[in-house]
Amino acid sequence: MKAFWPIYKRELFVFFATPLAWALIVVFLVVQGMHFFLLIDHFSREVDVASDETPMSAFFGNTVLLYLVLLVLVPPMTMRMFAEERRSGTIESLMSAPVSSAAVVLAKYAAVLTAYVAMWLPTALYLVILGRTGPLDWHAAASAYLGVLLVGAGYLAVGLCASALTQSQFLAMVWTALVLLVFFILGVGEFVTREGTLINAICAHVSVWSHMNDFASGTVDSRHVVFYVTLIALPLFVCTRAVDAWRWG
Amino acid sequence: MLLRRGRRASALPARYKALVIRVAHLTKRYGAQLAVDDVSFEVGKSQVVGLLGPNGAGKTTLLRTLAGVLGPTTGEITIAGHDAVRDSFEARRHIGYMTEAAALYVEMRVVEYLRFRAELKRVPRRTRTAHVDEAMARAGVIDVANKRIAHLSKGYRQRVGIADAIVAKPPIVILDEPTAGLDPNQIRQARALVRELGQSHTVIVSTHILSEVEACATHVLLLHRGKLIAQGSMAAIASLRRERGATVDFIVRGDAERAQATAASVSGVEAASAHALHETGDGTGDGTALVALRVGFGPGTDARTRAAATEDIVTALVAGGLRIREIRPAAGSLEDIFAQLTAPDPASAAA
Repeated sequence: MKAFWPIYKRELFVFFATPLAWALIVVFLVVQGMHFFLLIDHFSREVDVASDETPMSAFFGNTVLLYLVLLVLVPPMTMRMFAEERRSGTIESLMSAPVSSAAVVLAKYAAVLTAYVAMWLPTALYLVILGRTGPLDWHAAASAYLGVLLVGAGYLAVGLCASALTQSQFLAMVWTALVLLVFFILGVGEFVTREGTLINAICAHVSVWSHMNDFASGTVDSRHVVFYVTLIALPLFVCTRAVDAWRWG
Repeated sequence: MLLRRGRRASALPARYKALVIRVAHLTKRYGAQLAVDDVSFEVGKSQVVGLLGPNGAGKTTLLRTLAGVLGPTTGEITIAGHDAVRDSFEARRHIGYMTEAAALYVEMRVVEYLRFRAELKRVPRRTRTAHVDEAMARAGVIDVANKRIAHLSKGYRQRVGIADAIVAKPPIVILDEPTAGLDPNQIRQARALVRELGQSHTVIVSTHILSEVEACATHVLLLHRGKLIAQGSMAAIASLRRERGATVDFIVRGDAERAQATAASVSGVEAASAHALHETGDGTGDGTALVALRVGFGPGTDARTRAAATEDIVTALVAGGLRIREIRPAAGSLEDIFAQLTAPDPASAAA
């Protein structure tokens, strides 16, 4: 596992050295800034506000904007990871070094996760701003960010796996977007299907909406945590096996 | 991890432990396609092995299995006493590998890339800079150390690839076509580097250019369509050449048919062929054409017989009224052996 650090450092360096990454970050922060502004504007005008609705839970929870942003952001972040290496042939020199498949996968994953966290860090400023206007539930804030981290981590794992399964960056992006879209639609399905049916239960279980609502209101539901941990572990496992398969065929 | 056939390293005879690379009945299949077919060879310490074969012979696949990039379908590979399948990690630690068309991370600078590769190959931090500097010096890339690899020419990129292969000072260096696409000057420098590497490492170089093997290798492996058709030291291959016959080329002035008939009538000559050359226009001619005459001796003809026969040919040609301008003995290059060994079998072609 000593090979983890050089690969991790390099991937992080490459991520921030390319213009795509900075473009994504700028777009992300602009969208989130607008999102935040619109929410505050809405709350500042509304006289009659539901008691369990706070700007923070609205920011992280009840709107679709968060998920769309992730849908647009995650595929370009991960598409390059393995697909480009295989297409250009650099994967060969990586595999000829005394490096384990697990180290390669985990290092690349950790790098893209670090970039994701770095992207979200400036949004903490919004909480600081909110905190100045009134009391802020820091526990809810923490659990909200935990939710964001878990959802992002799960989606990024899916993206990394997709990148390992094809040599075309474009295809990797498309596959990732499709899988994330399926999750999104299942989330919508929770509201569309009838209460009490199996399909409704499934939709409710995988729905990012309901997960984030819970996280944003301060509830850390262990079922959600398990769901995302599985969503992280399974694609990463498949990814490691794919890397093994390139060698042992 | 899938289990493969093969004995454990500790059960191997002592002789095998002195060998740096041992390959036994290696086969690599891509689906239905057989890329490497039952190849067996051994490489000893400090040898420079030229892996020779036409494009598509399976050289890159063979080198990839040695380097640990691919696993064999069947067969055994032992690198410095470690099984390349069971002990892949340790086996890879002993190898420095340069890919075909040196695939590098083009967004990095040369020195950054080499530092990354050194760290990846477990070079300790305190000696890392020294290793990288030495690798750059030996490969001749110090003057472009701070340039981005994307801005380097192909020749320099190949050199960075070589620097990458040697940066961790591995006992075995495997270079896949290190001179592909280089200009003659660069090729000369690369060959000199390979010869220099051979003094302190065991080197395997693959190429489809025969003169390259003659220039820098001590041993040769001839690969054709996945099979090893010949192997041995350069001396052994040279005697293979002698056994398989040789030719002498003459440039004579006179009638082509006459030259051919005269030469063919000399004892010891197996075949003679002549064709007219274009006049070189040096003003010494009397109007008759220059003829290139190639005389072939039978297989098994030793050097002394060939020498005697050559003298006889000269005497016969002069007696026949032909004027001799040039005599060029050809010992039968690797090209000839290769062509003979890889020629389709006439019996099967006729069937």
